[in-house]
Amino acid sequence: MISLQNITLRYGEKVVLDGFSLDIPEEGLTALSGPSGCGKTTLLRVLGGLARPERGKVEGLGPARAAFLFQEDRLLPWRTVGQHITDVLPRSRRAELSRWLAFAELEGEEHAYPAALSGGMARRLALARCAALGGDALLLDEPFAGVDPQRAARMLERLRGLGVPVVLASHQGPVLAACDVVIRLDGPPLHRV
Amino acid sequence: MGSTRKNLLKYAIPPVFWLGVWQIAAWAVGQPLLLPGPLTVGGRLLALAGTADFWLSVGATLGRVFLGLLWGALLGGALAFLTHFFPWADAVASPAIRVVRATPVVSFILLVYLWTPRTAIPWVISGLMVLPVVWGALSSGLNSLDGKLLELARAYRFSRWKTLALIYLPSLRPHLSAGLLTAFGLAWKSGVAAEVLCPPDRAIGARIQQAKLGLETADLFAWTLAIVALSLLLEGLLRRALERGQKA
Repeated sequence: MISLQNITLRYGEKVVLDGFSLDIPEEGLTALSGPSGCGKTTLLRVLGGLARPERGKVEGLGPARAAFLFQEDRLLPWRTVGQHITDVLPRSRRAELSRWLAFAELEGEEHAYPAALSGGMARRLALARCAALGGDALLLDEPFAGVDPQRAARMLERLRGLGVPVVLASHQGPVLAACDVVIRLDGPPLHRV
Repeated sequence: MGSTRKNLLKYAIPPVFWLGVWQIAAWAVGQPLLLPGPLTVGGRLLALAGTADFWLSVGATLGRVFLGLLWGALLGGALAFLTHFFPWADAVASPAIRVVRATPVVSFILLVYLWTPRTAIPWVISGLMVLPVVWGALSSGLNSLDGKLLELARAYRFSRWKTLALIYLPSLRPHLSAGLLTAFGLAWKSGVAAEVLCPPDRAIGARIQQAKLGLETADLFAWTLAIVALSLLLEGLLRRALERGQKA
């Protein structure tokens, strides 16, 4: 179990997490659902070690041991699709490139630059890069924004097949429906509903 | 309007017009010692270009300017990183670099004349002019770097070298290109100026100085024309090389 215990975090005067606790299953797909601005992204950032809480602790997941998909694609305009994948793979795993291109359904786009990709393609590339990086868990912030529902469903199944816990924040009904656990949240400060 | 006519208007008419103005002014002055006409100057330039000394002087000046460009750019780049990442370095080096930027080139030429051998003055001066420009361009590039990409590099466990190669250098490339183009113009002009004031044995500046002392105005114009032509040519080549590097 990945466990957040009594987490408090604020941005300036705004309290986003106030003694918040949550247990997340250590396998399968877990969705965090809630209105925009309720604190889902902050929660994911705390899990990923990208935001340091004032109080409380995360158990079951060390800092820098998870792969994080940011809400924005954060692609590098000067790197090709293929390079985005190989950039996160160690030399010994470079041969996996075609596997991750297939994961993102971007076969044939290996040499394309981000400027030539549609919004959905860019999102799939960002997701594939995150999955290729790997780790003890995947923390995904709106992974299927701009991705058509059929592709999103197929990619969710591929994510499940990776065998690592996946925690994702999403607004999309079909995505939530395909997850094993859905945790409904509201805030700020963040709380379960 | 056809493209041939457009090209004629853009590229052929302006030089013909200005050469005409120059010739009319030369006729009006009527003293070749004060203002030789374009045909006289063109003839002198062709005659000079036929001598080995012309090309050796051009080569020597180019060598000094590029040496200055190289050390100024390397040191300016290193200082930009240093002052960006270390507040103590910023506190120490930034005011000094701003002083260098604000100091007139002539003051530097005369000061450097006291401290270094005469042959070294042009490349020392060129480098001193390049350093603050490259430092300023890279500093502003570093300040405008996308923090989200740097966060991505940390989150995706990129090594320092990988972060430098994949994020810093590509992000800084447009700033470096603009800085180098400006710096090249400064290095070229200040290097030749230093050669005029402290002439080495073989240099464009030394030939200009000789022409001035010998009241050979046509030669003075011819060397100046050569400087302008070389500057435009080299700047164009540098621009193309930098653009090609950016596309690669």
